[in-house]
Amino acid sequence: TELRLSHQWSTGDVRHKVAQMVADDVAAAGVDLDIKIFPSQSLLKAREQYKPLSRGLLDMTVLPLSYAGGQQPAYNLTLMPGLVKNHDHAARMNESPFMEAIEGIMAEDDVIVLVHGYLAGGFAAKDKCITKPEDMPGLQTRAAGKAFEQMLAGAGASIASMASSEVYNAMQSGVLDAVNTSSSSFVSYRIYEQVSCYTPAGEYALWFMYQPLLMNKAKFESLTEDQQKALLAASEKAQAFYLEEAKKEDAASAEVFRENGVEIAEMTAADFDAWRALAKETSYKAFVEETPNGQQLLDLAFAVE
Amino acid sequence: MDPLLLGALVAVATILVLFSGISVAIGLLIVSAGFLLAFDGFRSLELMPEILFGKLDNFALLSIPMFIIMGASIASTRAGADLYEALERWLTRVPGGLVVSNLGACALFAAMSGSSPATCAAIGKMGIPEMRKRGYPDGVAAGSIAAGGTLGILIPPSVTMIVYGISTETSIGRLFLAGVIPGLMLMGLFMAWSLYSTWRSGNASVLSAGNYSWAEKFEILPRVLPFMLIILGVLYAMYGGIATPSETAAVGALLCLLIAVIIYRLWSPKLLWTVLRDSTRESVMILFIIAAAGVFSYMLSSLFITQAIAEWIGTLSVNRWILMAAINVFLLIAGFFLPPVAVILMAAPILLPIITTAGFDPIWFAVVLTINMEIGLISPPVGLNLYVINGIAPDISLKTILTGSLPFVACMFVAIVILCLFPELATWLPDVVMGEAR
Amino acid sequence: MAGHSTAAVAHAGSNPFLRVVAAISTVAGWCAAAMIVVAVVVTCQMIFVRLVLNASTVWQTETVIYLVIAATLVGLPYVQRLRGHVNVDLFPLSLAPRARFVLACITLSISILVMAMMLFYGTEFWYLAWSKGWTSDTVWGVRLWIPYLSIPVGFGLLLLQLAADLYAVLIGIDKPFGLEDK
Ligand code: NA
Ligand code: NA
Repeated sequence: TELRLSHQWSTGDVRHKVAQMVADDVAAAGVDLDIKIFPSQSLLKAREQYKPLSRGLLDMTVLPLSYAGGQQPAYNLTLMPGLVKNHDHAARMNESPFMEAIEGIMAEDDVIVLVHGYLAGGFAAKDKCITKPEDMPGLQTRAAGKAFEQMLAGAGASIASMASSEVYNAMQSGVLDAVNTSSSSFVSYRIYEQVSCYTPAGEYALWFMYQPLLMNKAKFESLTEDQQKALLAASEKAQAFYLEEAKKEDAASAEVFRENGVEIAEMTAADFDAWRALAKETSYKAFVEETPNGQQLLDLAFAVE
Repeated sequence: MDPLLLGALVAVATILVLFSGISVAIGLLIVSAGFLLAFDGFRSLELMPEILFGKLDNFALLSIPMFIIMGASIASTRAGADLYEALERWLTRVPGGLVVSNLGACALFAAMSGSSPATCAAIGKMGIPEMRKRGYPDGVAAGSIAAGGTLGILIPPSVTMIVYGISTETSIGRLFLAGVIPGLMLMGLFMAWSLYSTWRSGNASVLSAGNYSWAEKFEILPRVLPFMLIILGVLYAMYGGIATPSETAAVGALLCLLIAVIIYRLWSPKLLWTVLRDSTRESVMILFIIAAAGVFSYMLSSLFITQAIAEWIGTLSVNRWILMAAINVFLLIAGFFLPPVAVILMAAPILLPIITTAGFDPIWFAVVLTINMEIGLISPPVGLNLYVINGIAPDISLKTILTGSLPFVACMFVAIVILCLFPELATWLPDVVMGEAR
Repeated sequence: MAGHSTAAVAHAGSNPFLRVVAAISTVAGWCAAAMIVVAVVVTCQMIFVRLVLNASTVWQTETVIYLVIAATLVGLPYVQRLRGHVNVDLFPLSLAPRARFVLACITLSISILVMAMMLFYGTEFWYLAWSKGWTSDTVWGVRLWIPYLSIPVGFGLLLLQLAADLYAVLIGIDKPFGLEDK
């Protein structure tokens, strides 16, 4: 049996490595299961993978689940400021009733999770360090994710939307003052060449994005028991790898920025609480308003210790 | 079926379908649908409209209609004539002032238009009759404008560079800058050939025609001011922190429309509609090809053809320059038959990994690729510029236009060789303006 | 020789069906041109808001993208009527009039078939977005059935124009491929 996996990342990216690991292990299991990976959006564009996946026109993908927030508003909770504190907390999220609820919603779309995983990110700015909401007023900012845009706008920043590929030039020419994205994007887009200060995900971090390896449910159920077992075993192994790599990425990105002479700032506990208070008034509020059972889901997420 | 064999089958089918007179975009959709149906199952057709829509779902594509409007609005005024007349009055001492100023006007106009046919039409409308009146051979008159018009996609802004930038995720601002020096170099080569061939044809006397007083020289200057305004305005917006390159296009389009209406009094709704109609026609044509080529490349990728070809070329251990020559031949042949945008969309994703693995700079390659596409614009069977010239000067036979253009094709080959020897010609300017390549 | 300027605008003659279709395609063309102009203005407004007012730009990027997509799709029938879609008529030119006629009928029929398929699945996709209430994943959260509507409308109108083109060739009002006889 052949399965097709599409994702947007380059082959050097940890998310590709996770997919590759699963593909390799499944192949090694000798259960007549062959996963063909289409990296770098070579089959489908990043935001056009979830719909085909849920309709059974694509078998597997590695995807920031919040990309599908327009189809299932509940998914916006997987990129919500201040919800996840660090990678170990993220790992506990994955095993919680909260994630069960999210997986229940995915099941409605005929989608299941094979590998859970969160990646973190931070802030970088041209002329100053961003650690707390008071740093934001007047900055033209590109944020990754709807909930972050709402929170940063609430802090007084101006939100500019553009493709991630335009960010570097926009920073260089001064169209943008600040940017918020994942640690790996900061490095791969060489943002360190254009900023003076970087606030990576550290002891406290705001930006965590859930980016699981997903599969079409009907397709999974159509596999033989042996094939399913092999797939699940490979996924479990890949998930442990994913968590370790995710932890390494933040420190590695900070190192790259430091080497390039960029100042490294840190968020304190007080900063984190200030952001969270702001998020309550902005992102959380908007989320609860537009999502059926929004408050209940939010409570579930906060219940994770 | 072996993906490479399947790839060959797709190639043959595509050529047959496209030669049948079907429009390129619909032809690509037909081939895609046929192969998806045959090798990927019935349900894969379901995705086609979604993928087509998705390919267009890109802000950078906005700049294509915008840069076309820039050219079309200015082309519909007498601005093109002003431009080349000004150049001629100032270049009167230069031998062959008229053909030199026509080519210069093409280059300047190219800096305002993203498309080649528009550049060709704008300068050719006045330039060709004027050159023939003064005794330049028909071939030189038609050929120089056909070739000069191709500068439209090399000198920024450029629709093909935008498409290349989108499909390879390279910086459009950087690509634009990379085209400047090669564009000027090509213009110089064109000028050199025009002068030489006019002199050789025994019409050397026309080379020294025209004599203008200083009063006449200065009197025309205000009339080129709007051009300078537009070019400087667009450059400032693009590199001065006002807007991203794709947004700049809108500023340029608005500026050009305003200048056309206010300075050149393009008031009548009928004339304005002509501008909009022509821009809409060309934009929709290009964007539909982009969308259809997107579906086509989905089909290639889905059937694993793209990957198999890239892998196969990777296994060939050939000298990188032989590889480059082979790629050029491939692009050239593709360019003969397909419009530039279609070639870039289908070839760039396959070629780029090969290019970078072989140690070539993707920005430099964009310039080489664009010159290849320029050759296609003035060679049969789909040489858009040839037909534009044919429309402007119907009494010059296509054969004369074609033979007149051939030497300019040779100039383009020379330019490619020079670029291979001195890649800095393309990469130096972007590095200076935007910092070292990343 | 081939190219897009060798052929003239599709003839409609005095045939009422052809004239109605031509009129519809022309109106579609006006809509497309208008959408492009609006996209220009909105982009300039966005730059102004960001640069001069230093404020957030929430809806402009998406609006502009969807306008340009809609302009492209809705503009298809008009460009088809103007014969503005580039083609390579290498085979038609080398054929005798009778064979050329047959080839034109075949190519137009296949085009119609594939466009009908695009129309069908495009409508289905639009219906999914509408019935499930899909929105874009941005703060603005535009309801996606609105931009997706341009898919069935664009391909539907293109289908209509292609059908008119085939009909015109069949009843002899228009020349196959718009080519004049040699
Ligand atoms: Na240009
Ligand atoms: Na050609």
